[in-house]
Amino acid sequence: MTMSVDRRTFLRASGVAMALPVLESMHPALARAAAASPKRMVNICSTLGLYSDSWFPKTTGAGWEATQYLSLIEQHRDNFTLFSGLSHEEQSGRQPHNSEITWLTAARRPGLDGFRNSISIDQVAANQFGYSTRFPSIVLGTATAQSQSFTTSGAMVPAEASAAELFRKLFLQGTPEELEREAQSLEDGGSILDRLKTQTDALRRRVSAADQRKLDAYYEAVRTAEQDLGEVKAWQTRAKPVVGPEQPTDLPNPADLIGRIKLMFNLIPLILETDSSRVVSMMIQDHGVVPTVQGVSSDQHSLSHHGQDPGKIEQLKKIELQIVEAFGTMMDDLQSRTDENGSLLDQTTVLFGSNLGNANAHTPVDLPVLVAGGGFSHGQHIAHEGEHNAPLCDLFVTLLQNIGVETDQFSQSKSTLTWG
Amino acid sequence: MTIGLFWRVVLGLAVAAALVPPVSAQSFEDRVKPLVRESCARCHGVRTTTPLNLVDLGYDLTDHETFAAWEKVYERLERGEMPPATAPQPDREAVTTALASLDTALTAANLQVRGAQRTPLRRLTRLEYGYSIEDLLQVDEAVAADVASLLPAEADSGGFDTVAASQSMSPLHVQSYLAAADRALDAALVVGPPPATQHRVIDYTHSQVLAGLENCDFLACGATLRQDDGVAMISDVSATFTFHSLSEGFSVAYPGRYRVSLEGYPYQADTPVTMALYHGRMAGTSASLDALIGQLDLVGDDGGILTVTPFMRPGDLMAPTLADHDYLPQDDPSGYFVPERHARDYRGEGIVMQSMTIEGPLFDSWPPPSTRALLMGVDFDEDGYVVLSKAPYEHIVAIVERFAERAFRRPLAEGELDAYASLAQPLLDAGRPFAEAVRVPLRAVLSAPAFLYHTTPSGERDDFALATRLSYFLWRSMPDERLSALASDGTLSSPEVLSAQVERMLDDPKSERFVRDFAGQAFRLYELRATSPDPGLYPEYDDRLAQAMERESLLFFAELIASDAGVDSLVAADFTFVNRRLAEHYGIDGIDGQQMRKVALSTDSPRGGLLTQASVLKITANGTTTSPVPRGNYVLGNLLGQHPPPPPPGIAGLEPDTRGTTTIREQLDAHRSNAVCASCHRKIDPPGFALESFDPIGGFRDQYRVSGGMLTVPDGNGGELEIPAPYALGPVVDTSGVTPAGDRFVGIRDYKRLLLNGALDQIAQHLASQLVVFSTGAEVEFADRHGVEEIVTATRDQGYPVRRMIHEVVKSDLFRSN
Repeated sequence: MTMSVDRRTFLRASGVAMALPVLESMHPALARAAAASPKRMVNICSTLGLYSDSWFPKTTGAGWEATQYLSLIEQHRDNFTLFSGLSHEEQSGRQPHNSEITWLTAARRPGLDGFRNSISIDQVAANQFGYSTRFPSIVLGTATAQSQSFTTSGAMVPAEASAAELFRKLFLQGTPEELEREAQSLEDGGSILDRLKTQTDALRRRVSAADQRKLDAYYEAVRTAEQDLGEVKAWQTRAKPVVGPEQPTDLPNPADLIGRIKLMFNLIPLILETDSSRVVSMMIQDHGVVPTVQGVSSDQHSLSHHGQDPGKIEQLKKIELQIVEAFGTMMDDLQSRTDENGSLLDQTTVLFGSNLGNANAHTPVDLPVLVAGGGFSHGQHIAHEGEHNAPLCDLFVTLLQNIGVETDQFSQSKSTLTWG
Repeated sequence: MTIGLFWRVVLGLAVAAALVPPVSAQSFEDRVKPLVRESCARCHGVRTTTPLNLVDLGYDLTDHETFAAWEKVYERLERGEMPPATAPQPDREAVTTALASLDTALTAANLQVRGAQRTPLRRLTRLEYGYSIEDLLQVDEAVAADVASLLPAEADSGGFDTVAASQSMSPLHVQSYLAAADRALDAALVVGPPPATQHRVIDYTHSQVLAGLENCDFLACGATLRQDDGVAMISDVSATFTFHSLSEGFSVAYPGRYRVSLEGYPYQADTPVTMALYHGRMAGTSASLDALIGQLDLVGDDGGILTVTPFMRPGDLMAPTLADHDYLPQDDPSGYFVPERHARDYRGEGIVMQSMTIEGPLFDSWPPPSTRALLMGVDFDEDGYVVLSKAPYEHIVAIVERFAERAFRRPLAEGELDAYASLAQPLLDAGRPFAEAVRVPLRAVLSAPAFLYHTTPSGERDDFALATRLSYFLWRSMPDERLSALASDGTLSSPEVLSAQVERMLDDPKSERFVRDFAGQAFRLYELRATSPDPGLYPEYDDRLAQAMERESLLFFAELIASDAGVDSLVAADFTFVNRRLAEHYGIDGIDGQQMRKVALSTDSPRGGLLTQASVLKITANGTTTSPVPRGNYVLGNLLGQHPPPPPPGIAGLEPDTRGTTTIREQLDAHRSNAVCASCHRKIDPPGFALESFDPIGGFRDQYRVSGGMLTVPDGNGGELEIPAPYALGPVVDTSGVTPAGDRFVGIRDYKRLLLNGALDQIAQHLASQLVVFSTGAEVEFADRHGVEEIVTATRDQGYPVRRMIHEVVKSDLFRSN
């Protein structure tokens, strides 16, 4: 991939006033100068599935009949498209929940036989956009650092699970002393990385031929880290955007699943609107505790293995209803923020769904998938039926193309997935 | 990538040419093809429906798929699994000829593709990085673990995280190394006066917080009862709101080890009650009890003191609580929420908490040993500030030399010292403090390739590399001074010295890391807490049980090494490790106290050996239900080393049903009647059937538990609350099955007997392979089979003793070569 060329081409083509927030609500004067608003991507995964009977409509096409979950986001009916019958192939991993690490990558047979993950769609986009924003991508979690975002070499990008810390990184300027210490650390880091390159070269001459080849990967990682550090240094000298809301207070109780989801959902529109990043991924994780949701007495994972027990299904739905409702509120927020090019929702390609189709049996097919915003023509339920599900990666290619990534292929894709 | 592959092939060709005769298609045509035509082609030919076509399968063994197919042929032919017993059997000599030819060809091709070096440049894993930081910087293991957590998580590759081929390197790693080194040096390098020591005695009799709760004695709100010399706790809910150190106003100012002593005695108790201590933090208005760090059984009228020394950070709290008391009215769970039930009328068991004393941070000297060791040659004034005796840069050179030699595990190469030390110069020139300047080279060393990778010197493998491999195998960290000295004087590689070192290292407490990481990954023990059992179906499950389960397995594996027991113990042993909690779970009588100890098992016990340990039984269940499939997979894959292939695409998992209408057994029987499914499930299911008598938390069962649904009870505030209703007993468990060889069994004891009679060699092969993979960081491939076989053969006569096997691994060519 000739990344740097692509990136320049993209930036020229889009004509974005780099590094500056462009939305009308923030800086009206600048917004007038901007020719086009940047395109963005948000990926959200609820890793314990979404109970199928309450999610998938029985009818297809436009005018689908709302189900219990979808009735909560019906106000956005014309802002999203539903898909059924999509999946990645060969997702039965070593552990039945392994498909959560391949939701955005579609690497086959997760956790089996020397498995190595491949790049996730958000990181493909982040590689292309680079440091045209302060953060090439933002990866969020609700409990731990586990994420669904992977680099080219299959390293997991750690998720930020603290809304307060995220807010600090994005919007708090820091005291002069903090800024100075940070600058010194970056400075030291820069000279260390430079030295490590020469030392890797020197070491290379002393080790076996096989080691030499592997050291090249390390050298390359150091070189890229050094470049990135340069970009980070440049951003460090620029003031961070000022936003209306105060820094949120974290919810330390892991049982407050919904509260934590909402904290992150509140920040996502701010990230996009201030153009702090154009790529956001969020994993709604298994918190392993009984969530503080009225009428729920088991943890979400246990409930997802409801074993057809109606009492458990009822409880599971109570949790999932709140997740879907919170997602709807975030869509409201994205839609309410507008500039002359339309709403933030129109400029943002939003993917929402799960890596499990039927969590009770850990089935990674017929996944719940919803695409909102992004300027697509929406309102339908696109059903792919039959024995083999259609490749979710076809949709991924379409999503990547929609945000300006020049590619016609991603992981398991065979084509693109279009509808209209 | 292209260059790498090119060199691999060129080099590989050179090596293959040197080691083995070239593989010709002709030898295949002459020696393998006749057998294929005669005995295989009927089912594996052009016109058959099986996916494998041997007639058209080419001979290009450098092609991965072709190689894998012929490797499979070799294995099944060697084990006598093919042709199947129902088909005409080939001439013995034809089989021998074909096997010999395949062996030569596959070995040569394997070596050719792999190249000269079996393990290419292995990286320290996240765990190894943490241990190395702990040993190199002499910081607390808790600090080292915190630091390591800043690195990217190791990917779940399905094997050991030490396997080089599965390890990734990315700019993200490099950034994390810089950040982690910064954090590590923050903790290790402390100058200035010592932190103030805190000493606080929390006397519960005079607790303001508890005094305020005196009249709130409704059971559900964590009611307490004041006594003359303490406060009786009757519900563990109390611990999350009151009693803990933060609610009593003790907050940690400086991170470090603290001594915590908790004193109490039983309240109205006829049976032992357990006084427990949790490490936690505030989570909203209540405390999260994150880690169980100590427990003590209190019996009769005797009080006791529980003392532990946890590592505490600002914000941390200590929460005393009680367990194993008969508090909750089990006959009627709703009684908990009935306002009429008052604590003063409570006649059940509890603990009178008397006091909790917290003292710390504990340190023997100041500046701490980590700082003194790091800044060797530097003095400190009475306030703990640095006093230099020569030019700052000279100090730095001396410090960096010593540090880098340990970190790189070898003498420094020419120019290396200067390259790192000189990084401090710009800071010194800019007039920055010494302690700041010295950090930069140290941070660079901790991010350097020579620290992060096990490098292989060009040419012969030297003793330094051997010391590193050995040390990371058994201690998971860098060599100590003794080992380095032996490498330095060149004596390490002599068999006697090496063997004595293995003994010394296995006897050292640092080998617990090996037990934890090897057993943790080989037997998947680290997954123990991945699921929380359904509280309605398995109300008896709690942290204390989980902790005892984990300890049982680790102590058990450590004991196999310590006593040099044979691998038959993995299948069946006449002992295990329990505390009272786990003993009750297993139905073993007469065990007092919460400390783990070795106990003999009665001859009719279903326990004994790895497979019937609660940890393994829990790991192989999903928390709510069990299925013979994952358990069978575990036995085949993790014990016997025969991982079954995953189900073909489009096959859904079985749908669990806890309503009691269908058992998983009935569902499995249905799908085993399908020939395609049956071809694998006839192997997978039987061990799982034998383990059906164990529930998802490893309890023994004759009948399945069936969900009792939910119960609506008053919540004490005028509202309602749903809680799990008591479970019922459902269908009877069927533990019978037939092995692929046709042996019938009923129950796990029967099945273990079959394994002991027929599978020990295979189990030993797998264990030896696993030890080789873990210690060398490369998978055992076709060409390594003979190396593994040598290890197994050397231990066969004595019944494959585990400690002996570790010695044989270290002696082996696989371990000693690159």
